Amino acid sequence: MPDSLTAPLPPSSQHTIGPFFPRTFFSAGDNDLTRLSATAAPSQRGETILLHGRVTREGGEPCVNSILEAWQADAGGHFRHPADPDHALADPDFLGWGRAWTDEDGWYSFRTLLPGGYADPAGPRAPHINLAVMGAGLMRRAQTVLFFPAFAPANAADPVMTLVPPGRRAHLLALEEAEKVEGLRRFRFDIRLRGTPEEETPFFDD
Amino acid sequence: MDLLTQPTLPKPGLLKPGQLKPGLAPDVFPPLAEGIEPAVPVPGYPNTWTHTPAQPLLRRPATRTEVAGPLDLWRKLPCDESNLAMPAPGRVAQGQLMHMSGRILDEDGRPVRGAVVELWQANAAGRYFHPIDQRAAPLDPNFVGNGRVRTDEEGRYAFFTIKPGAYPVPVKDTWWRPPHVHFSILGPSSLSRLVTQMYFPGDPMNEWDRILHSIHDPAARARLIARQTHPAEVGDGWLAFTHDIVLRGRHATPEA
Ligand SMILES: [Fe+2]
Repeated sequence: MPDSLTAPLPPSSQHTIGPFFPRTFFSAGDNDLTRLSATAAPSQRGETILLHGRVTREGGEPCVNSILEAWQADAGGHFRHPADPDHALADPDFLGWGRAWTDEDGWYSFRTLLPGGYADPAGPRAPHINLAVMGAGLMRRAQTVLFFPAFAPANAADPVMTLVPPGRRAHLLALEEAEKVEGLRRFRFDIRLRGTPEEETPFFDD
Repeated sequence: MDLLTQPTLPKPGLLKPGQLKPGLAPDVFPPLAEGIEPAVPVPGYPNTWTHTPAQPLLRRPATRTEVAGPLDLWRKLPCDESNLAMPAPGRVAQGQLMHMSGRILDEDGRPVRGAVVELWQANAAGRYFHPIDQRAAPLDPNFVGNGRVRTDEEGRYAFFTIKPGAYPVPVKDTWWRPPHVHFSILGPSSLSRLVTQMYFPGDPMNEWDRILHSIHDPAARARLIARQTHPAEVGDGWLAFTHDIVLRGRHATPEA
């Protein structure tokens, strides 16, 4: 078959989200991954946790008005999506997606479930949350992955964590805070968009 | 034609909440060709020097978590805002009325059904309805300039809006952004997530725009420019533009 009939369409290029992403696109509960919609009941399968952190740029200055999107597996490590061969086992009440927006000091927050890990042909995936950061000055979104320190052996075997130079892996670990909030464990995950190799959060290509 | 007759706008997609279709999700993400993604930093745009990661991006395998994505986001994000030009009966935004439509496709050219399409733009004077935009250009009480729809079974979206104005970028070495429309598309995979901008054909400012020209491949730039439908086909009510957007992702094909 000639190439012209099988050649794929080139994807449209990314552009910066710019400074004017409408605030009216956000509504209460958008940063809550545990429910399918603002009015749906939250999922009860697994441990509800809180996640928050600061997004900073070069020099440690806060990134104001950045947009973060989170995506993760449910507590059992499943996705309600045909790419997961076990999607029938997925939690029907868990969305797994949320969007947040940083305040004037660069803080964001999410409410979610502690994700489960899963087996994959590329290697065993440790529990993790995918985070994408968008904002003025970021010409394409910055994608990183958050892991939990309690799963150290799984983290050490994770095929994405092991891509990261050992000296930078600690930047991908969310830290559990000493105090619970609303009776829930809260984790802190800061994102440094640009800095020295020691400071900068590891980011991943598409 | 009656100026206030509403043009064709999309009907919601037919997917039922929670319905999984094997054909809905791409499962192969070939690496992008050179020149498609913006080169950074952008000269004269200081934010790109302070926000863009300095370390090389790490290329990861596409496991389930990267390939999957939320399929029923319209339950979270209401997708019912397609008429930006007429916020209420008898109220019409200022500027050139414009019908904006197209299809969301994957790299195989297949329609992406049920994608969430968000659009935002400046008003006819080049000002955003946003607290951060404090430029001395008039706001239009009849124009907010953002909408959200969901693609139908053929991957189609449509908005009724106005043609945005150009605006200057407030940096030391200033330049003007040509008229453009911002798009955010949430497709079937976290890797197919796309935020982009669309430009208008024939505007001389397109050639001077540092954001558009951060994309080095001329063909990739050309793909961000909409096509105008011949006014004779549209009538005297509004202008019409079409613009297809290709998300990342292909379907695995059986070995020949
Ligand atoms: Fe803009």
